[in-house]
Amino acid sequence: MQEPSERGSRASRVGVFVCHCGTNIAGTVDVCRLVEYAGTLPGVALAREYKYMCSDPGQELIQQEIREHGLDRVVVAACSPCLHEKTFRTATAKGGLNAYHFQMVNIREHDSWVHEDKDAALEKAKDLVRAAVRRVRLHQALETKRASINPDVLVVGGGIAGIHAALTLANAGKHVYLVEREPTIGGHMAKFDKTFPTLDCAACILTPKMTAVKAHPNITLWTLSEVTRVEGYVGNYQVNVTRKPRYVLEDLCVGCLECIEACVYQQAKVLDEFNLGLGKRKPIYIPFPQAVPLLVVIDPETCIEFKSHKCKKTCVEICGERNAIDFEQQDRTETIEVGTIILGTGFKVFDARRIPYYGYGTYPNVYTSLELERLVNASGPTGGEVVLRDGRTPKSVGIIHCVGSRDAHTNRYCSRVCCMYSLKLAHLIKEKTEADVYNFYIDMRTPGKGFEEFYNRVAEEGLKLVRGKVADVYPEGNGDGRLVLQVEDTLLGMVRKVPVDMVVLSVGLEAQADAQEVRRMFNITCAGEGFFLERHPKLAPVNTFTDGIFLAGCCQSPKDIPDTVAQAGAAAAEALALIDAGSIEMEPNTAYVLEEVCSGCKTCIPMCPYSAISFLEDKKKAEINEVLCKGCGTCVAACPSGSIRQNLFEDEEIFEEIEGVLTYA
Amino acid sequence: MGTETTLVSEAPCEITLENFLEFPEGRKVLSCIQCGLCAGTCPYGDVMDYPPRRIIAMLRAGMLEKVFHSESLLNCVACYACMAKCPRDIRLTEVLLPLVKEEIFVHLPEVPPELQKALQNTLRYGNPMGESPRKRVAWTKTTDVPIPILGEMSRPVDVLWFVECYTSYHPRGQDNSRALAKIFNGLGIDFAILGNEEKCAGECARLVGEAGLFGTLQDYTMTLFRRYEGRFNRIVTSGAHAYDAFRYQYPALGFDYQVDHTMPFLFQHLEQLKPMLSRKLNYRVTYHDACCLGRHNGFYEEPRALLTAIPGVKLVEMTHNRINSICCGGGGGGMWLDTYYKAKGYERLSERRVKEAVATGADVLAISCPYEVSRFEDAAKVLGYDNKLVVRDISELLAEAMQS
Ligand SMILES: Cc1cc2nc3c(=O)[nH]c(=O)nc-3n(C[C@H](O)[C@H](O)[C@H](O)COP(=O)(O)OP(=O)(O)OC[C@H]3O[C@@H](n4cnc5c(N)ncnc54)[C@H](O)[C@@H]3O)c2cc1C
Ligand code: SF4
Ligand code: SF4
Repeated sequence: MQEPSERGSRASRVGVFVCHCGTNIAGTVDVCRLVEYAGTLPGVALAREYKYMCSDPGQELIQQEIREHGLDRVVVAACSPCLHEKTFRTATAKGGLNAYHFQMVNIREHDSWVHEDKDAALEKAKDLVRAAVRRVRLHQALETKRASINPDVLVVGGGIAGIHAALTLANAGKHVYLVEREPTIGGHMAKFDKTFPTLDCAACILTPKMTAVKAHPNITLWTLSEVTRVEGYVGNYQVNVTRKPRYVLEDLCVGCLECIEACVYQQAKVLDEFNLGLGKRKPIYIPFPQAVPLLVVIDPETCIEFKSHKCKKTCVEICGERNAIDFEQQDRTETIEVGTIILGTGFKVFDARRIPYYGYGTYPNVYTSLELERLVNASGPTGGEVVLRDGRTPKSVGIIHCVGSRDAHTNRYCSRVCCMYSLKLAHLIKEKTEADVYNFYIDMRTPGKGFEEFYNRVAEEGLKLVRGKVADVYPEGNGDGRLVLQVEDTLLGMVRKVPVDMVVLSVGLEAQADAQEVRRMFNITCAGEGFFLERHPKLAPVNTFTDGIFLAGCCQSPKDIPDTVAQAGAAAAEALALIDAGSIEMEPNTAYVLEEVCSGCKTCIPMCPYSAISFLEDKKKAEINEVLCKGCGTCVAACPSGSIRQNLFEDEEIFEEIEGVLTYA
Repeated sequence: MGTETTLVSEAPCEITLENFLEFPEGRKVLSCIQCGLCAGTCPYGDVMDYPPRRIIAMLRAGMLEKVFHSESLLNCVACYACMAKCPRDIRLTEVLLPLVKEEIFVHLPEVPPELQKALQNTLRYGNPMGESPRKRVAWTKTTDVPIPILGEMSRPVDVLWFVECYTSYHPRGQDNSRALAKIFNGLGIDFAILGNEEKCAGECARLVGEAGLFGTLQDYTMTLFRRYEGRFNRIVTSGAHAYDAFRYQYPALGFDYQVDHTMPFLFQHLEQLKPMLSRKLNYRVTYHDACCLGRHNGFYEEPRALLTAIPGVKLVEMTHNRINSICCGGGGGGMWLDTYYKAKGYERLSERRVKEAVATGADVLAISCPYEVSRFEDAAKVLGYDNKLVVRDISELLAEAMQS
């Protein structure tokens, strides 16, 4: 760090390099005249132009000129620093200067691309170059720092995304903490019977992965757990995980399930969450037969012991010597240190009650697609029989696509998987009931490997496809529970009223209800529709804007299982790349406190979005952690005594730049 | 950059079918996904050759001319069902349909006589029934409470009560007005009416595509409001269509009064109203959501809250309620097309609605739009339900529950 008094001296051998960027810049800005002008600026030793400055010969030119002409500062006028600042800093360093004795001017995005008047564009380029030259003459030598990367990884969410990412990392020898808030891992996929497009059994392909997670020596699996605090930075995160009581001790329970049988409740009476309320469970239960971990859990809301403390506790009796049941269990918080984090928190399905005219919640024979997944599932509440609530087998079923998708009143986006799973459900319902199945769709969207073929196959099975968005669902009126679907068949150009026994709403995928809280905790961003935002939609699809935090699966956007698994693998690979590099370079543009000026007023401390500022109680001064500081400059502007300064954004540098831009040449 | 400024200043101020695509509301039709939800939900979708979806398809194919020669939109009762549900939020009932309807009327060999008469009456007498404008205030002589008339007063009032036509002339509409007078009086509302100077606010003329007639009525009423500038603070009306016109159409002419329909207005006074509702009414009531009030303005719960505030009232819902309510058939000119519909063999919507009301087992069909009382009473009579079901405006029920 430099004292301000040392900052007066100006470098005097600046080299200015102007890029044509083919015709991108040169087509609008007269590069030759710009170079001519730059050569006349005070302190400039030389000005050159080149067709593509970022090319190897371009970079070579910079290095060569530094050496031959003894340049002490470099200015490159070209494209956005987002693209090539690093390139030219490296070239500057290779030429023998400090990499930060460099300033970049954007005469493409800020000039040639946005202006048509060539003379004015040239004037603007001159202003920008003049400002950069004045600024760079004050630049100080800075050093990049490196932060080490803790090789342990946190994976949040135990759906197929989290499971796949955790296994990939664990197989690569990294230690993974997998945190899942439900009593079991598996996510939505664990609820399905078959999966499109191959119709392979979901359990057959998922269960082995779930048990592998449990058995893996490199994975610490915490269910009924949630992350409650995240601090630190890439490579060095400190995380608190709150583990909610299961009321059954994990290391003592052997999974014999005798306690469930023994519960004083003879009958299962509580609506069962895993089956979306279509089945019943006891207060002591396992979510489903293949749950991982296969441990019972007690629900304190319905267990008599929790309500009255007067239960006979037949469960404890039967558990006997194993002593695995503990009604006194409390929340516990574990603190872990990890270097990277993968979020795989998945989605929730659209609440069909928000579209009142489809009658979900009003008419018992209206179901959501997820409920149907449970009904067709052999381990579901009906043992895989598709029956109505009154036990009858439906003779006709209407599946309504796009419920809560592609709709300005709910979600504008397409949920991507609903057309395919609707076809899958149609096939399964037909297979199990021989019912007439109608699919009411707007556009049939089947882009994916083997998807169109699947559509073809199911269509030939005798689906009744109706192109039109159902407008109204109402009871037929004779009290037999049949429902009429009113729809324009847009291909026939006529309004049809189709009576069915069962309606299935193909609900869309939405961001989790707590996505905003999770986003804040992990200091990442959500896109408009609520899903976590990737750093770049094409080139950084699993990265976030926070280094070291990656996304996988439906928490980023609706997608099917193949895409989820691919993304989970990519997220694991990104984490591995960081871990194996061992350390990461940090930008030196951090803020620092001039201790002798700081009055200890603490104004800056709550302002910092990265919690990088702490208060030194002994000295009564603020201190900035260089590694945490992202160089946003908030504290610099906020400090009432002007005692916070920032590397690369020193007051003098900024004033020079402003004056440079405003001095009319 | 220069072009931007010129674009703004040259922007057409009135939306027509020709300049449709220059407006954001117009450009929206380009995003139509041809899902047919509009046709499927339309109460007359099954009898229209060109329901909204096909109109848009024709427009985009440059074949709208053909639609002008059909009678399709004579069946549009401007019920906002298509617009409320359209997944692309296309302003069908508000913008596209009235414009197309206007053209259809231009090309129509003969406007159905009943409608023709109503429009002529409105132009000539300021009300569709053809009643004498001088008798507009006649009903005020039949109330127990005095009804002040703004033009005859020297002091300003808080509320200008815009009475509207059916509630001035129709015997059952007058019941509604008398009830409202009683409630206003009980609440101590400082109000006055326009008296014989008042004319139809014009919304239905607009929705049958009679933009010219609407303009005339709008100009007239605006001039009246200007004349009484400073003499009242806000406007309250029981006319659901008048409310719509004031809220959405009049502001273009500089109208900036606070305007309330009586339902939300009385709802704002609910706490004050409750202790006054001391008479128990043992009715089983079902409520018909008026299209303008519910679907267009989102007042679904206010009327229901008023009803359930009445001691003894049991509220039951029809199959189609709130956003899914079925129009009484009176909007967009439907009020005066019953003979035409009958000749074509179409079901009357008021009858469809009354059947649903009867199916709930209700003995009162509660309403909040002045068109409905005569339509539903008539439908109940035709269906032979008139001894089973009575039609009452919510204001009437409230007044009845007030011990006099
Ligand atoms: C009805 C239906 C049928 C489908 N059928 C198919 C099909 O046949 N084929 C196919 O390829 N795709 C299908 N899909 C899509 C499939 O469900 C998804 O691709 C897949 O489930 C995405 O996995 P995920 O891990 O990203 O999310 P999820 O499965 O949602 O898993 C997320 C996990 O994270 C946990 N979690 C969430 N928040 C937190 C938190 N804050 N802390 C800790 N844990 C948390 C959740 O409890 C859950 O276990 C279907 C979707 C639906 C709705
Ligand atoms: S409901 Fe809207 S999007 Fe669908 S066809 Fe009608 S206008 Fe088009
Ligand atoms: S406003 Fe009502 S009647 Fe008119 S087209 Fe739309 S749904 Fe049909």
